[in-house]
Amino acid sequence: MRMDTVIMGGGLSALACGISLAKRGKRVTIVASGQSTMLFNGGSMELLGCIDGKPVEKPLEAIATLPQNHPYSKIGADRIAAISERVKLLFSDSGIEMTGSANANHWRITPMGVAKPAWLTLNDHLRIDDLNNLPAKHLALMCVRGFFDVPNAMLAQGLRELGFEVDMIEFTTDDITSLRRSPSEMRATSLAKRLVSNHALQRVADQLNSLAGEADMVLMPSVFGQNDSSDFQTLQNMTRKPLRLVATLPPSVAGMRMMTQLRHYFRMLGGTYLMGDTAVSGTFEGDKLTSVTTAKLGDMPLKADNFVLATGSFVSRGLRADYERIYEPVLGVDVVADNDRERWTSFGVLQPQAYFGYGVATDEQLRCLKNGKPIQNLRAIGSVLSGHDPVKMGDGTGVSLITAIAAADHIRENK
Amino acid sequence: MATNDIYNKEYDVIIVGGGATGAGTARDCALRGLSVLLVERNDYSTGATGRNHGLMHSGARYAVTDGESASECISENMILRRIARHCVEETDGLFITLPEDDLQYQQTFVEACQRAGIRADVIDPEEARRIEPAVNPQLIGAVRVPDAAIDPFRLTVGNLLDARLHGAETLNYHEVESLIINQNRVEGVKLLNKLNGERIEVRSRVVVNAAGIWGQRIAQTAGVNISMFPARGALLIFGHRVNNMVINRCRKPANADILVPDDTVCVIGTTSDRIPIETVDDMRVTREEVDVLLKEGVKIAPSLATTRIIRAYAGVRPLVASDDDPSGRSISRGIVCLDHAKRDGLEGFITITGGKMMTYRLMGEIATNAVCAKLGNTAPCITANQPLPGSEEDGPNQGDLTKRYSFGQRAAIGRHGSLAARIEKDNDIDNALVCECEGVTVGEIKYAVHQLHVHNLVNLRRRTRVGMGTCQGKLCSCRAASLMGEFNHDVKRAQEDLAAFLDERWKGMRPVAWGDTLREAQLTASIYEGLCGLDTAVNLQGKEDVQ
Repeated sequence: MRMDTVIMGGGLSALACGISLAKRGKRVTIVASGQSTMLFNGGSMELLGCIDGKPVEKPLEAIATLPQNHPYSKIGADRIAAISERVKLLFSDSGIEMTGSANANHWRITPMGVAKPAWLTLNDHLRIDDLNNLPAKHLALMCVRGFFDVPNAMLAQGLRELGFEVDMIEFTTDDITSLRRSPSEMRATSLAKRLVSNHALQRVADQLNSLAGEADMVLMPSVFGQNDSSDFQTLQNMTRKPLRLVATLPPSVAGMRMMTQLRHYFRMLGGTYLMGDTAVSGTFEGDKLTSVTTAKLGDMPLKADNFVLATGSFVSRGLRADYERIYEPVLGVDVVADNDRERWTSFGVLQPQAYFGYGVATDEQLRCLKNGKPIQNLRAIGSVLSGHDPVKMGDGTGVSLITAIAAADHIRENK
Repeated sequence: MATNDIYNKEYDVIIVGGGATGAGTARDCALRGLSVLLVERNDYSTGATGRNHGLMHSGARYAVTDGESASECISENMILRRIARHCVEETDGLFITLPEDDLQYQQTFVEACQRAGIRADVIDPEEARRIEPAVNPQLIGAVRVPDAAIDPFRLTVGNLLDARLHGAETLNYHEVESLIINQNRVEGVKLLNKLNGERIEVRSRVVVNAAGIWGQRIAQTAGVNISMFPARGALLIFGHRVNNMVINRCRKPANADILVPDDTVCVIGTTSDRIPIETVDDMRVTREEVDVLLKEGVKIAPSLATTRIIRAYAGVRPLVASDDDPSGRSISRGIVCLDHAKRDGLEGFITITGGKMMTYRLMGEIATNAVCAKLGNTAPCITANQPLPGSEEDGPNQGDLTKRYSFGQRAAIGRHGSLAARIEKDNDIDNALVCECEGVTVGEIKYAVHQLHVHNLVNLRRRTRVGMGTCQGKLCSCRAASLMGEFNHDVKRAQEDLAAFLDERWKGMRPVAWGDTLREAQLTASIYEGLCGLDTAVNLQGKEDVQ
């Protein structure tokens, strides 16, 4: 079967690119390992959060000041402004309700109560547009008894430092207590699986209504809604006070929900999503990639006019490091990385780490290079790209989304 | 305990150093009825005690080169199997000969073992491959000896616990700045409390210097010179346990020739380099050390080539030059006990050093004998027969564990022996797992915080193994920090503590940061910095390294 485009990798960038192409009638296949760093998502997207340790207020303006090797610099601030609007549309078409603007960052609240700059945040999550004008005065922070994946005391302290009055209130319900029987079951995803029926949600709401006291907003860990936001809506309707969610430690229910929604939309548009498979090698002819072999399809290579490499960074095995070198393991395309192992990392764990900036090399059109020459029909998007740092710059999800759509545009223009 | 109480007291003996030797000496002194204070500048077992293979030598390794050490080892080995069985895993060991080694040496080795009283059975290479499938299949000879694995952290804590049960007092994070000297007599120590900056003086009739390589500086503050020759050894921990038995090379001791199984992981080591005394606090492992360890390790067990390395660490052996040879040419690995009254004319001061973790109990006995001689105490030493707390005869045995206890409870019994009974497990929250790799429960953390002198997450790791497994503290460190913040009612400190813990883990990961170890590092950074913003919440710059 011949496809228009084959995308290697199944995370955020792969789905955004796949949706963008499928929407215009292209036949797209995504080869997805089934794991994604969206598992660590905090309910927000970040375009550009930080430069040199300082929070960025206006990401679109700040993009113009980034170095040449940053993926954004290859796309340009004007096009990014336009693409950022299309990203919002892509999310709402997928049923993901987010708010925010590329012109001005707002603040998301981390599980440790730190305010971090964000571009888009899920509507059911706590979001602060202006630190001098908080969305509530008095918060009831509801702590699920025996659930350790929110450091509640740290979260409460952080919120107080931002100016909220915070009551920490521990609660449980029969449904939650029964999860406890197996000591390793108290994770955000298991709670989300358990808290789905109207009865279970009503028992939570009863606790919130009776315990929230004087607070004018109720905060809960993000443990609702495996597939969509309807469980949250049900709970909000049962709860007398406004309710907001705060991200938990992984696994992130919000991140997995967004992936489910994007996947669903991609399939609705006619896309093929091969779950649990990975690309293992490719065949080149001249300056073109002609086919890709996957672990499961074996001797049936996937052929296509265009290919997209969206295999992610080291975490996702899109990049590999061994004893001596850093390389891209599927196609062997060129990477930007130091040869000397000593320089990959820094001594302090919280210092910037050079390896975060390593990744595949591309030309201005995001085409991968092999032996210094661009492969005409192979583009790289997302975390596999070199020149950015999701941790220190807060640009991970932004690079994934913006490069995904820019690459989709290039692919269509190519025809 | 309030510091005033200590300030106003005069002890029979103050022991400086909270490694295995100091702990063993404190226990012995307490069991003989002396009033004891032990002081440690960092956490317990932060020096050489916590930075070795975790190997319970049979003595075979020293049989050819140092018969006396070999005899001491086998005798202590048999004692520890009785008194510290909850710290010991009886694995046995192999001494293998590879094609590049001289098979003649095996005969020399076996004869030397027999002279030292160490059982050494020559076995067929085929038999060696059968009982230890991880061994290099090209081996041409093998000898089976009674080596074993031992947990030095648990061993040290066991000795400290027993010392306390017999009236000893112990202080970690108290550094000796100088000795109190009055007319050629040591009368106590001047201490800095590193947690609050307070300075106190404590008096005693005798001071025992059991500070390992740092003992040279302690002695110097009293104007006494001991020539120590720091020998640094680096080791690598692999992500799972490839071998069931200790595997050694049957040749003259050399770099990276011992592979020891420790709980869920295994450890290869060591390198051996003389270093200047000024650099003993720099424990960073170099690229060259890693390269040597890997190259040699793969010869012992080829599967190490494809096994993930989870961290690298280094320790410093306190080797001592004999007094008639200050050049250091005849350095001893044997036990050195110096009575400074006889040697230097300074009364009330004893140094116990040299030796090995293996012989900590004997070192404690020798030092305590010297203390008792000074104080006119005639009580006999009973440490060779009295089991450590956790190893009593009536404790739960491994056989019936699987049926009656949960994973977390079984893991805790493995770590604390019969003391595990003190861990709260009455409600579902106490049984909840904080660390899934190592099976550490909320109840065990409570127990450690309240009874095992835990001030920070690194202490907690040494007492419970939290964060020591393959994930190196990815999620459990946050859960544990959060719980400790609740117990101590100090959230800011818990966050700084968490950052310091991650930094300490990173120190061991960085020298081997490729492959899956680099992946784990990126994952950890994504969670704690990207998702949580820990780097914004705390500032580690200018902070002293956590110990």
